[in-house]
Parts: sequence; structure tokens; C-alpha cells
Amino acid sequence: MNEAALFPFVDANPARPGTSLMPLLPIILSQGGQEREAVGLLDTGAAVSVLPYSLGEQLGFVWQEQQTPLVLSGNLASLPARGVLVSVAVAHFAPVRLVFAWTQADDARLLLGQTNFFLEFDVCFFRARSEFEVRPKTAK
Amino acid sequence: MSLTEMLPEVQSLSRIDKIRLIQFLAQELERDVGSLIEPGGSYPVWSPYDAHDAAATLLQLLDREKASAP
Repeated sequence: MNEAALFPFVDANPARPGTSLMPLLPIILSQGGQEREAVGLLDTGAAVSVLPYSLGEQLGFVWQEQQTPLVLSGNLASLPARGVLVSVAVAHFAPVRLVFAWTQADDARLLLGQTNFFLEFDVCFFRARSEFEVRPKTAK
Repeated sequence: MSLTEMLPEVQSLSRIDKIRLIQFLAQELERDVGSLIEPGGSYPVWSPYDAHDAAATLLQLLDREKASAP
């Protein structure tokens, strides 16, 4: 079994330390020869992972070429989205193919949600000690 | 003063003062929790909750890629 990688919760509001600790995961996204480092929010409540518009463009995606329209919910429901596939590397683990809802919203966070980040990785949250662990999924 | 040092002092309090102490601590805890959310603050929620159709479509996209892989 792969050993888990340990990450700290990150203070999203340094003005009030400790009030907004977020499970932010550094990842490397790769697509068609383009590679970008980014930080994704682990969001167990999100049905899908979300890729902000500018990050999708930086990876070389062209909006008009995407053929998988999606309808999202919440704040993202008012803007169109498209399905895209990206290779994602977490820590020292082998890259995996993750599917994202690429939204036209640029102020959205990069979200890592149930489909399919949490299908590929097991995560343990230790919020009280401000840490979380990530490891590739294990077979049943 | 540490909690360990305080406990003997607390034990020596009268019953009524112990109740007052409990009330004081409860108010302190309530104030701490209340300060986590600012009244009138804006807290956008970007999570696409319950976007089950979108999730199903994305899984199909993933399956199609797997099926077409050499």
C-alpha cells in the first residue's frame, strides 16, 4: 500500500488566524504538453471537480472545441461548463486522469470533488490538528 | 496560570461560584464560535452540490477515454 502524503490545512484568512483553515492540496496538472502547478480545495460536498476558466486556457483547452456540455449547481449554475480530462499528479504518487467541469467562471476555486478525485484518492481529514492525509485508492 | 494550577482553586469555590464560572465559560465559548462568521459578511459557495447529472456525464467522458485507449 502507498504511504499517505501528509499536508497542512492552510489559513485562508491570515487576518484572523485559525478561523478559516482550508484543505488546500498542491497538484500538477498536465494536458497536451502543457503543465501547471495549482492548489485545489478538497471539497467532499462537490459532486464534480471544477476547473476555473483561465487555468483551463493555460492548459491549452479551447472552449469551442469542447463537446461535453454540463449544467452545474450553486453559484456556478448560471455559467456554462464543459467536461475536460486532465492528468493530475499529487505528491510522489503516479499521475491519474481526472475529469473536470471547466467553467467559464474565473473567480471560482479549483475544486477537487467526488467525480472523480475522491474516486481516485483516499483522504483522511484531521481538522483538529490541522492536517490531512492523501493516498491513492486501495482495492476493496 | 495553567489549567492544572487552576483546578485546585476552582475546587475550593463555593457551589454558587462554580455555577457562575460555568456560565462565564459558556458565554466565552459562544463568543468564540460567533466570531467565526461575521454578521453581514459575504460567503460565496462555489461547490456544485447535487450536480449528479454533471457527475454522470463526466464519468461517461472518462469511460469513453478508457475504452478508446490502446
